[in-house]
Amino acid sequence: MMTRSFFMGLCLVFIAGNGQAAPIYSLQSTSTLQFQGTQQGEKFTGAIKVFEAKISYDAHDLAQASFDVTMQLKSIDSRNLERDQAMQTPDWFDTGRYPTAVFKTVNFRVTAQGAVADADLTIKGRTKRISFPFQFQKTAAGATLDSRVTLDRLDFALGAGEWADDSMVGRRVDVIVHLNLTPVAPPVAGKAPSAHQKN
Amino acid sequence: MTLRATPNSWGSVAKTLHWGMFVLLAAVMVVGYYMTDLPLGMTKMKIYALHKSVGILLLGLVSLRIVWRLVDRRPAMEPMPAWQRVVAAVAVMVLYVCMLGLPLSGWLYNSAAGFPLRWFNLVNLPPLMASNPAVKGMIKEWHETGAAIFLCVIGAHVLGSLKHHFVDRDRTLARMLPGRK
Repeated sequence: MMTRSFFMGLCLVFIAGNGQAAPIYSLQSTSTLQFQGTQQGEKFTGAIKVFEAKISYDAHDLAQASFDVTMQLKSIDSRNLERDQAMQTPDWFDTGRYPTAVFKTVNFRVTAQGAVADADLTIKGRTKRISFPFQFQKTAAGATLDSRVTLDRLDFALGAGEWADDSMVGRRVDVIVHLNLTPVAPPVAGKAPSAHQKN
Repeated sequence: MTLRATPNSWGSVAKTLHWGMFVLLAAVMVVGYYMTDLPLGMTKMKIYALHKSVGILLLGLVSLRIVWRLVDRRPAMEPMPAWQRVVAAVAVMVLYVCMLGLPLSGWLYNSAAGFPLRWFNLVNLPPLMASNPAVKGMIKEWHETGAAIFLCVIGAHVLGSLKHHFVDRDRTLARMLPGRK
């Protein structure tokens, strides 16, 4: 039994030809990366419009799974010009020094609530290990990946100094991920991750 | 002094609304002209929040005042030429339009710009329109132009009342002063 699955695994590796058994997906332009914060007691929604992702996932082979996402923070849009400009400043995302945020999984596990990835999220030069519960569903076109995670903005020094007081801007931020994925098969060595942009 | 106006004097309700709103209007105007040049930060947001809260309070007060003006009787006009009555009546009409229009245009601008509106840290008020960057500049101009017109007409209203008091020596101003009959 052991030998057989090992052999099948070897075959898959051989067929894929790239040392990676899990199927690789690229982003469709309908994918969204949104966040919800509160300002003066009122919810607002922002979107990171430009991001790229490399998703390798097979529910039966979590050891090979990986999610790599790079976000271009200058593309943040919260439908409020003043707020969007403020978010670029050193008090907030400081995009002059830290233009990107990076999300990289380090481990996958299955809990009673479903699949969870442990991932390193780096924003503004600060890296924090987070739990990333998600639903990965195969569809006719490929797959969808959905998640909702709550972050504390102060873990990443977002809103430093006087803004740390949460009376104007709440500390909790919900991140809402909805990715529409197309399989890339077979994976080709050296292929760049799919870029994603919309307006 | 009675709650209602007498033939000789405004009542205490009208006087309280008049002078209370005068104080709040002066404050909200000074803050309004001062706050726009502040550097972005918590202080600026708190001052804006205060400006908006007092503005909404004034919108409530002017609504009460209009209702009271419709219900209450009015003191008799002091003797004056007909053209002065017309000018005074038009000025008062413009003042009421401004008292309504300034908070409403501010609220509309706040909505178009996509900002929250929290009234004295107590309750959030809904936007009057969906966030719309295309029209927000125009609405901001309404708010600013309205404030300039308001200031000019308030100036004329004050000068007119002082002229009645010190030149004509009639009761036009005295009948609105607190504590008199």
